[in-house]
Amino acid sequence: MNEQLFAYRCLQCGELHHPQHFVCRKCGARQFEKVLLEGEGTLVTWTRVYNLPEGYMKPFLCFGIVNFPNGLNVSGQLEVDQPEIGTKLQTTVGVVKEGIGQDYFGFIFKAK
Amino acid sequence: MAIIEKMEAQLRPVETPMVNYPAKYITQVNGDKLVIHQVEREDVPHILQAVSPLMTVAKDFYDIVASRIYSELLGYYRYRVKDEYCLVGTIDGVIVGVVNGRMIDEKAGMSYHTMTLRQGLRIGAQLFAAKMEYHLDYLGQDEVWIVAESPNGFKRWMIEYELEPRLEQWHELGGVPTYVLTKALWEKHKATKCGGRRPVSEVMLATAKKMILPETYSQIPGYVRNA
Amino acid sequence: MRREVGIVGVGHPRFGKSSVSFTDMCCYAAVDALDDAGIKTGEGHGVDQLFLASMGAQMLNRQSGIASALVDTLNLRPAMAESVENGPASGASAIKLGYMAIASGMCDVVLVIGGEMMRVVSGWEGTDFVATMLHPIAEYPYGLTLPAFAGMFTRLIMEKYGVLESDLARVAVKNHENAMYNPAAHIQLVPKLEVITEDEDKDIINPYVAEPLRLYDVCPVSDGAAAIVLCAMEVADRFAKKPIRIAGIGQATDTHAVAEREVATDLLAVRLAAQQAYKMANLAPQDMDVAELHDAFQILEIVESEEVGFFPRGEGHLAVRRGETKIGGKIPINTSGGLKAKGHPLGATGVSQVIEIVLQLRGEATGRQVEGARAGLAVNFGGFGNNVVATILTKEVE
Repeated sequence: MNEQLFAYRCLQCGELHHPQHFVCRKCGARQFEKVLLEGEGTLVTWTRVYNLPEGYMKPFLCFGIVNFPNGLNVSGQLEVDQPEIGTKLQTTVGVVKEGIGQDYFGFIFKAK
Repeated sequence: MAIIEKMEAQLRPVETPMVNYPAKYITQVNGDKLVIHQVEREDVPHILQAVSPLMTVAKDFYDIVASRIYSELLGYYRYRVKDEYCLVGTIDGVIVGVVNGRMIDEKAGMSYHTMTLRQGLRIGAQLFAAKMEYHLDYLGQDEVWIVAESPNGFKRWMIEYELEPRLEQWHELGGVPTYVLTKALWEKHKATKCGGRRPVSEVMLATAKKMILPETYSQIPGYVRNA
Repeated sequence: MRREVGIVGVGHPRFGKSSVSFTDMCCYAAVDALDDAGIKTGEGHGVDQLFLASMGAQMLNRQSGIASALVDTLNLRPAMAESVENGPASGASAIKLGYMAIASGMCDVVLVIGGEMMRVVSGWEGTDFVATMLHPIAEYPYGLTLPAFAGMFTRLIMEKYGVLESDLARVAVKNHENAMYNPAAHIQLVPKLEVITEDEDKDIINPYVAEPLRLYDVCPVSDGAAAIVLCAMEVADRFAKKPIRIAGIGQATDTHAVAEREVATDLLAVRLAAQQAYKMANLAPQDMDVAELHDAFQILEIVESEEVGFFPRGEGHLAVRRGETKIGGKIPINTSGGLKAKGHPLGATGVSQVIEIVLQLRGEATGRQVEGARAGLAVNFGGFGNNVVATILTKEVE
């Protein structure tokens, strides 16, 4: 599985975005390059959700917002038993939702 | 013995002695006390009156659940089901929910139905947990066989308790594929599913045993008993 | 030259579980509002335009072109008609459009209906449907939901400002108490603070939904519709009720993906929308006598009460502990019961909030009346705060 997730860097001013935007939030330019989002991140906040939407056959799932060293914050699933704000997590990319004929890939942050 | 009595004896299942479910109470969010106790066979005709108005309510599968509970309890009353039991939830003596099931043998239980009469307090979930508690903690069984008739039931039981699918095993309720609550799963989920305090005071239990029939049902707009 | 706009009719059947179709539910609210305004249906009704606010009728009820359907069912033809979808802020957005239609001089009388029928689908499907307003790549496919973001937001606020689970429960209990006096409220039950926060069985009767949020920190799922009649102030004497003036409207947006917010503990769009509304009304937070704040999650009432300027940042929960947001307190919030107890039929909510302020300013909020209320604020919150509409109403000086 070689799925990867990216940030989008403005070619004019260097501002990073995730998810992708059409126009740079800082300078208004429209050209971006992809930058791989990987490695270590810091947990900003988290929750354990019990009322999952249709399509999830689990009693609960953990979610978090993670801060990358490049300054970007992203949401993702957590596979951590006892999450705590401020802990360092490992970024992985995996199936976050199973679809019929098409699985969805996204960030799954794991304990280091 | 008259021939007719002999025939009746042959029609009846052999019954296994079952310990009684010890009554308990759970404090509800608004301070109400939900008392859960096991009813006697003689109480069944009375309880049927609480169930029967819902037999025609198609919404949320009340019709099939009420009709089946009605016939299951009637089977219990007339000695046509083996080792059945019925637990009733009451608040201030008024019946707010009914659950039932039976023992298949010493090891396994067969969950029948969970019916909430008073909505909005998660009473169904609390009664279902009491039923599982009866099978696994009091009857000392190893597992309970469960099916759901509604998507909501599937979420509440199969997903929240992470029930073990045993799809080749048909359930008594229409031969639907069975899901199983094992002792291990029960121990895992009990703390966040099964509540309640014991003993129930004599006064509280006496009130519960009044088993007052609901006057109205939020599921049946406009219905008033004996109106 | 901008024309002044007032509200002369309100209709608010009880929220809960509808036993009629989506269209009929909306029509019941509409005719109540028309009756309240003293508008005779049929020829000569005088309604120039209808706006219908709904977030999900197309998905939940598989019905589109609903405004056109309603204008015909109510026999208001050939009035203009449009449907408005702006997530859970659809209701306030429709009122804003009604205001613009009249202020511009294009219309004299506008009927605004908000409605949502959410209980036609299972809780699962409903949760999924509401989550469709999240970011389609960075949020929705993860299984993230609105309660998930509210849980993560609550944890941050607790860490930063020392808000406790019991503070959230206090907000919920207050709102449920208020709802007991609102015949339109879905839930007529008052939870006991000590039971939902301290009882040995609290994890069973008040379970976690999205940690640290419990069931009683989250609004229920409701069906419901609400309607109002707007008119140009210069024609207000045609109607049975004295007009309540729309003094200010503000609206602001924020990042779609919640993780992109500059300050994770801020509700920036709430602050900007309220500031804009105050400015337009030429009023300040301390001029407000009553407020309806969008408490889909109890943490939101606390943080919104700070962002709209009622309390300093980080002190909203202290005001709750002091009882300042109760009826009789410094600034009563969610006298209607709020989304928590009155219910939150998405498209109807913004209209319902404005109706509560109208009733308070008219002096018709029986049992929950804020004495002498002259001005009120309603905040309708869309997405997880990425589109917020604030509306200020004032009572005309006699």
